[in-house]
Amino acid sequence: MRETDRPVLSRPLACLAAAAALLTVALGGASVGVIAQTTVAEVPDLVGVWNGGGRARPVNGPNMPWTPDNFPVLNERALAYQAVFDEAIAPKYDCVPSSSPAIQYDPYFMEVVQWPDRVLFRYEKDDQMRTVWLDGREPPLNGYSIQGFSVGRYEGDALLVETTHFVFDITGFDDYNGIPSSQLKTVTERYWRDGEELRMTLTVEDPLFLREPASYTARWLPAPEGYKLNPYGCDAEEARRAVKYMIPKYR
Amino acid sequence: MKLLLSISSLAAFVALGLVIAGLPAEAHHNSAPFYDDAQEVEVVGTVLRFNFRNPHSFIFIEAENENGEMVEWEVELGAAVSMSRRGWTRETIKAGDPIRAVGNPSRAPGTFGLCCAELSRPDGSPIQLVRLEADEVPLRMVAFVPSRSEK
Repeated sequence: MRETDRPVLSRPLACLAAAAALLTVALGGASVGVIAQTTVAEVPDLVGVWNGGGRARPVNGPNMPWTPDNFPVLNERALAYQAVFDEAIAPKYDCVPSSSPAIQYDPYFMEVVQWPDRVLFRYEKDDQMRTVWLDGREPPLNGYSIQGFSVGRYEGDALLVETTHFVFDITGFDDYNGIPSSQLKTVTERYWRDGEELRMTLTVEDPLFLREPASYTARWLPAPEGYKLNPYGCDAEEARRAVKYMIPKYR
Repeated sequence: MKLLLSISSLAAFVALGLVIAGLPAEAHHNSAPFYDDAQEVEVVGTVLRFNFRNPHSFIFIEAENENGEMVEWEVELGAAVSMSRRGWTRETIKAGDPIRAVGNPSRAPGTFGLCCAELSRPDGSPIQLVRLEADEVPLRMVAFVPSRSEK
């Protein structure tokens, strides 16, 4: 199993944090205020490889993690898109990765790396990596992307992440319900440790498609000792192979 | 080599479905739009090739249909990265291997896809994995979200 006796902040991370803090002081409050918002002791240890598969939680599907109890309230625009949605057009059949709020719930392994000025989330599925900036930087002008632009801060025993600047995605809400998401989508995540487990509560807002915010909570288990993420290398031919098995919605 | 095609009673299929539903899965897409979970097909034939890839692996099986014609079935499996954690390798299935697959056929006429299949040797014996963790599942089970539990 994953290391269990690691201190709240691992030694290399603590050293880096201390060095960054000293550097910040030495520079007289330079523009990049590395971890200025927190003290070393407040940083939760989220480092490691985490199992988000079927052992950790129910696998995603049309009713998971969006159950009848937390399913988003769609506006008229979203309902219209959903009605005309054709599964064959889903970008995933051409190896386009899923984005938030779906990627967090995909049943694969994930690695978390904590640096003083950023947290890296590496996803085994589709070889994706999200960078959560802790240094207070602003999103670049027109810096829109599939995974958006993430900033974060530590608060108490948790890491809070806010992501904006997503591109429009015809299946940007999840992989199963044909609900799009827009450039106005905002995803907030709160990560914390619960014993050996990693937990997260996610909330998504999108005024172009949702009438109100929607949330779910997920957990990860420690990966087997020594496990390293494998390259995914999505194969476009295999990703689309099954599409021909469907009876086409449109001709 | 032969192909046996049968439509099971719903009760019989539900029993099979319960076995599959308890298994870990790697979701990439819902099986319902692609495969008819009210039908069950048994394919007994020879492996042509095994594509151990992401987001889905496929086994290609040549088998004889009811008219004596050879048909190439495409058996959809889970993602290679996830299957490898349960002991699969690209050598687990080899071209020329005799194999039996029982699963749901694809919906579009003229296609020969197969989903959510039990895989075994033609005599029903299991196919050996490199390793098998105690809490994982045997090879014959396919990693796929069982749509019937999600409708």
